[in-house]
Amino acid sequence: MEAHSLLKKQGFDVSSYGTGTHVKLPGPSLREPNVYEFGTPYKHMFDDLRRKDPDLYKRNGILPMLKRNLSVKLAPQRWQDNAADGYFDIVFTFEEKVFDMVLEDLHNRDQVLLKSVLVINLEVKDNHEEAAVGARLALDLCEQIEAVESWEDSVDDILISFENKHRRKLLYSISFY
Amino acid sequence: MVGIMNPVSREKLASLSNSVKFATDLGPKLELCRQLKRDLLEEDAAALSEFLSHIFDLYSDPSGPVRKLATEIIGEIGVKHLEFVPEIAPFLITVLEDATPAVARQSISCSIDLFRHTLEKTAIQGLHSSELDSDLESSWSWMLKLKEKIYSIAFQPGSGGVKLVALKFVEAVILLYTPNPNGSSEPPPNEGTPIEFNISWLHGRHPFLNVGDLSIEASQRLVLLLDQLRFPTVKSLTTSVIVVLINSLSAIAKKRPAYYGRILPVLLSLDPPSFVIKEVHVYGANNALKNALLSCLQCSHPSAAPWRDRLLGALKDMEAGGLAEVALNQVHKVNGSVEDEKDHSSVIKEEKPMTKACDAAGSNVGRKRSGTEDSSGLAETGDVSGKRVRSTPSVSEESTKELNRNTSMSQGDISSAQSTTRKVDVDTGPVQQLVAMFGALVAQGEKAVGSLGILISSISADLLAEVVMANMRNLPPTHSHTDADDELLEDMCIVGSNTQAKYPPSFLVDVVSLSSTFPPIAALLNSQQSVPNEIVKTEVGEEVDVMAGPNSTVAYAGMAHEAENALLPGMEKIDVPTPSDIQDVGNLESGIPGLDSSFHYDGLSDAQAASSLVSTDLEDTSQEQGTSFGGKSPLHVLPSISIERSEELSPKAAVNDSSGVVSSTATSVVSSHPFVLPKMSAPVVNLSDDQKDDVQKLAYIRIIEAYKQIAVAGGSQVRSSLLAYLGVELPSELDLHKLLRDHILSDYINHEGHELTLRVLYRLFGEAEEESDFFSCTTAASAYETFLLAVAETLRDTFPPSDKSLSKLLGEAPCLPKSVLNLLECLCSPGISEKAEESQSGDRVTQGLSTVWSLILLRPPIRDVCLKIALQSAVHHLEEVRMKAIRLVANKLYPLPSISQQIEDFAREMLLSAVNIDAAEITDAEGLIIESHKDSELEKPSHEHQSVSSTGKDISAIFHQSETSQSGSSPSVPEAQRCMSLYFALCTKKHSLFGQIFIVYSSASKAVKQAIHRHIPILVRTMGLSSDLLEIISDPPTGSENLLMQVLQTLTEGTVPSAELIFTIKKLFDSKLKDVEILVPVLPFLPGDEVLLLFPYLVNLPLDKFQAALTRLLQGSSQSGPVLSPAEVLIAIHGIDPERDGIPLKKVTDACNACFEQRHIFTQQILAKVLNQLVEQIPLPLLFMRTVLQAIGAFPGLVGFIMEILSRLVSKQIWKYPKLWVGFLKCAFLTKPQSFSVLLQLPPPQLENALNRTAALKAPLVAHASQENIRTSLPRSVLAVLGLSPESQPSSQVQTSQAHTGDTNNSEKDAVAEISKESSGAS
Repeated sequence: MEAHSLLKKQGFDVSSYGTGTHVKLPGPSLREPNVYEFGTPYKHMFDDLRRKDPDLYKRNGILPMLKRNLSVKLAPQRWQDNAADGYFDIVFTFEEKVFDMVLEDLHNRDQVLLKSVLVINLEVKDNHEEAAVGARLALDLCEQIEAVESWEDSVDDILISFENKHRRKLLYSISFY
Repeated sequence: MVGIMNPVSREKLASLSNSVKFATDLGPKLELCRQLKRDLLEEDAAALSEFLSHIFDLYSDPSGPVRKLATEIIGEIGVKHLEFVPEIAPFLITVLEDATPAVARQSISCSIDLFRHTLEKTAIQGLHSSELDSDLESSWSWMLKLKEKIYSIAFQPGSGGVKLVALKFVEAVILLYTPNPNGSSEPPPNEGTPIEFNISWLHGRHPFLNVGDLSIEASQRLVLLLDQLRFPTVKSLTTSVIVVLINSLSAIAKKRPAYYGRILPVLLSLDPPSFVIKEVHVYGANNALKNALLSCLQCSHPSAAPWRDRLLGALKDMEAGGLAEVALNQVHKVNGSVEDEKDHSSVIKEEKPMTKACDAAGSNVGRKRSGTEDSSGLAETGDVSGKRVRSTPSVSEESTKELNRNTSMSQGDISSAQSTTRKVDVDTGPVQQLVAMFGALVAQGEKAVGSLGILISSISADLLAEVVMANMRNLPPTHSHTDADDELLEDMCIVGSNTQAKYPPSFLVDVVSLSSTFPPIAALLNSQQSVPNEIVKTEVGEEVDVMAGPNSTVAYAGMAHEAENALLPGMEKIDVPTPSDIQDVGNLESGIPGLDSSFHYDGLSDAQAASSLVSTDLEDTSQEQGTSFGGKSPLHVLPSISIERSEELSPKAAVNDSSGVVSSTATSVVSSHPFVLPKMSAPVVNLSDDQKDDVQKLAYIRIIEAYKQIAVAGGSQVRSSLLAYLGVELPSELDLHKLLRDHILSDYINHEGHELTLRVLYRLFGEAEEESDFFSCTTAASAYETFLLAVAETLRDTFPPSDKSLSKLLGEAPCLPKSVLNLLECLCSPGISEKAEESQSGDRVTQGLSTVWSLILLRPPIRDVCLKIALQSAVHHLEEVRMKAIRLVANKLYPLPSISQQIEDFAREMLLSAVNIDAAEITDAEGLIIESHKDSELEKPSHEHQSVSSTGKDISAIFHQSETSQSGSSPSVPEAQRCMSLYFALCTKKHSLFGQIFIVYSSASKAVKQAIHRHIPILVRTMGLSSDLLEIISDPPTGSENLLMQVLQTLTEGTVPSAELIFTIKKLFDSKLKDVEILVPVLPFLPGDEVLLLFPYLVNLPLDKFQAALTRLLQGSSQSGPVLSPAEVLIAIHGIDPERDGIPLKKVTDACNACFEQRHIFTQQILAKVLNQLVEQIPLPLLFMRTVLQAIGAFPGLVGFIMEILSRLVSKQIWKYPKLWVGFLKCAFLTKPQSFSVLLQLPPPQLENALNRTAALKAPLVAHASQENIRTSLPRSVLAVLGLSPESQPSSQVQTSQAHTGDTNNSEKDAVAEISKESSGAS
């Protein structure tokens, strides 16, 4: 969402998705996460958590995060259900597990358009600080890819130079819509 | 829309395509194109044929996006109206050559669709008729050409984005050309059914599409694809091409398993590191390969099966073993589950008869419990009487053995079911190696004991704990029995806290046949003799909970209380044979209650239904209760217990193999109490989360409780590691942290609280820092925080301030969250929070500060935060706190180079804030709070003073109050002190800082100045004179004179100022600061002549200051004595010329007066001496006569001396100095009659003048002169003046009478009267 927020601000046509079955937010303990259905408005979650334990959720940054999300979009969406959203040029994932899930999902779809899609994994630790860093990196990468006429021809160069510049390892794959 | 073309629409389209053509801007153009596309796709073939050329024209557009869109439009038209293919295909072929890759790609994308549709149509038409219409035929031939063209792109060397899509095209063609094994082999009955095309529909019935040929072509293409991935071609490919190739191939392999054997060898032989030139992206390809292989692995087609092992091997090499296994398990599920189930059923089958056997065995004994009502549903097993189900140990043991053997297959299932409760973490490396090492040593038996000991002693406690834990988890493969026992630990707990109503009868059956190993496990975990205490919990008058003799069976106890009571004796007996309780056997009656009380076990005993272990033979022994309980019978009855017992008697006994590693570890590490883990059966009990939680919690409580009693046994290092590990590993919901915390805090010192806390903290910290998901991180982090905070708070509240535990804890904890720092802050700055009421004593502050200090030294990362705390404390409103903090900061922290600047900045800021507060009105709330706070603080001590002590203190109280009232608008003195103390303290460490105070001083408010002045003496005395200070003194900012004065005073007080200081001051006086006042402090140390030079300036000072200076001068320094004698002083004063020196005469006279006031210094003799010298001066000092007059006034005894002076003045022609002359006459008048002789010495004109001026003198003088002896000595002229000469007598008379008549009211009346009397007397 951090990346979504940032990319959106920079004028990219961007969507964000989860790949799990539910939206899980940390709860009072590991075994009691707050679970929501995809599509539950962030506003609802925000109110819900604020009602439950404002201190806790403010302290662990969940409430501010939800507030930020509120301004980005209405509700969390699920990747696997996003066929209606059309095709994307680039898909960013921030965890290898998600990367694999996205690829698997893409491979399982009917590839009729044969529109290539670049899937990039940028490993980002799941916390607020790292997310901000990751979002900036994603933006940087998007801008570089945007700058070339056709990423299909130069993706290797772009990614290699990105890796050298930021000392970050990327994982990418190409799939088709 | 079929039929005639709507003319409007046609026109519209025409105009639209025109406007597209002529539009110049890209944006609108594209928009128009899209609109055109929408409209066109609505049209029918006839209309389109007209427009196709228009659209082809569009392709001539220079901009890529338009060409791309045009291509897209054409492609879609083609798909919709295949009859256009002969026109469209050549177009697409040309587009393939387009310079813009995106356009070329679009062409291929369109081609795929077009190809698929054409093929489909061709195929289906061919199925239905032997003849194809020529259009279609030509379409198909065009498509083939297009296909060849794209092939050439796909297989040409080079790379680029176009190639990616071309490869995809090849994949699509291969898939189209080969039969889909999963698809239907018959075409859909009616066209238009949306079903995926399958080439196998053809069945060789097509006029020109030959399935065989097609698949030959497909496999040829496949070979080409594969060749690309072969060495060395692959080296020339970019990663993206490789990724696409791998993905395509794996997709083909998955969808067409027939090709498995051809594709997989290539994929498996791929070694990304060796072929990717741009080595950076090895793992991009690697990942693709891994995913490809994984997806191949998941393929369930038979032809894939032979490859599984190789795939697994390859994946393991790629470190994806775990995933592979998961994948494999999924595959196996179908096949394997059958077998598993078979295992299960066999287990259950075997179990049942045994249970029955038990029942049968049990039913002939223990009748006395027949009355108990039992809702357990055991009736099902035929035990209608409702008594407990029992089984003989022997049966149980056998069953256990068998069961274990049988369940070894299903063991995996059990463990997986239980893996939720036992968190499995992946330990690799050293721990596993150690485990292996231990295993090897243990296998060697007794001879390895020594080396085992060495090994254990050489590894750290933490590591050892890890090893034990890892080993416990790893037991199944080698010691399946033990593992079963181990795993059942939790299950047994459930049994203990049984809520039996929830369990289905089948479960009860399981339970019945279950050999409980609970006590041994508890014993193992506790490693303590207190085992029996734990096992036997016979709350007096209550029920027995868990009676778990080794190898005895678990029986279900759900009886009424009375029955329970009846059972009690029997139960008591049962515990007798348990280990370490043998001594109690003899004095059974007294021994049992002792055991009972030793362990209070409310958790379990509350759980009403306990499962008790009652074997038939135990039942027998219970009946024997009261009689002798010979050692024999339990041994006889309970074979396994006897084993334990023998071990108890001889701890060195061979370790039972079933308890192998675990017990040997326990043996060697702890005390020598080996415990046997008996065999048992493993029922599969599915517990709800809540139940699991309960079980774990209870188990943990037990463990903790046990720890309280084992402190003596030693080996605590290992133990606390274990405890911490357990506390953290178990799910956090159980709030085990709290239990652990309570344990730690209940006796911090004796429970090795520090070590244990640290272990827990490190565990939690590790979890929080682990690169795991958001939840566990956040949760662990907050658990960490809570734990640390709770311990820290307790340490603070319970331990004396001098205790170092808190400091030690905070110093060694892995990290300090904010809340802990807040705690520290409150400690250091009491009153920050509302808890101020707790009124921490100063010692607490010291504790906090020393903790902060050690943290600053020990923990560089949080140095800043800690420093902030210390600094905050250093400006605390309570002086006591502040002083402590300042001492710390100035003495300990400031010398640290890394933070000194920070401290300095802060102190300066505070200093400036003190000065600036009064400049800017305090408006912000914080300021007000500080104010009000301070007010209250100030009032408090004042009241105390008043109440406590006497009047002397009242003054201070008043003083305080006055300050308080003053503080409303500008900072009061204490407030200023609060802000500045730190800075002053720093000044003593770094003298150059002192300069800032001078700068600040000039703009400071009165209160601030006051505060500064209060500090200065101590400060300057501490600092002493340094070069820095000298420098500051040499150039003080304007406005700081008062401060400078005070500094100088302090510097010179009681000591001899150094030459440099004096020099500096003099220089300053000479150059910048003309105020002589600064010289005053050093006056005693200046040479006399210099002082004399300065004297006019001194005189010019305000009187009080002059007096002070005078005192200094006269006192001088202790060494050198007075600088000036009093006489010199007076002479110097007289040496001042008001006009020349620019000093008001008044100042000089005042100076004189000041001297005369000090009569004990300026004595008669000194005055005489001074006058003696002064009278010799030429010209005479201006004030000379004044001084003479004063001298007369002060010391009347000086009259004689004064007369001498006067006569000398006469000889000096005093009348020539008009001012002095007046004084002279006045003096003469005052000193009459002594002055008459002097007056008579005056030359006649002067005498006349004098008498004219002071008429009152005349008569007495005349009278005096009239005396015969005098008169004769007087020259005539004088007599003439006096009117005593005969010729002038009448005139004199006249004069006299005139005077007499005219001046009757004159002040000289008496004198006149006297004179007349005298004259009358004389005449």
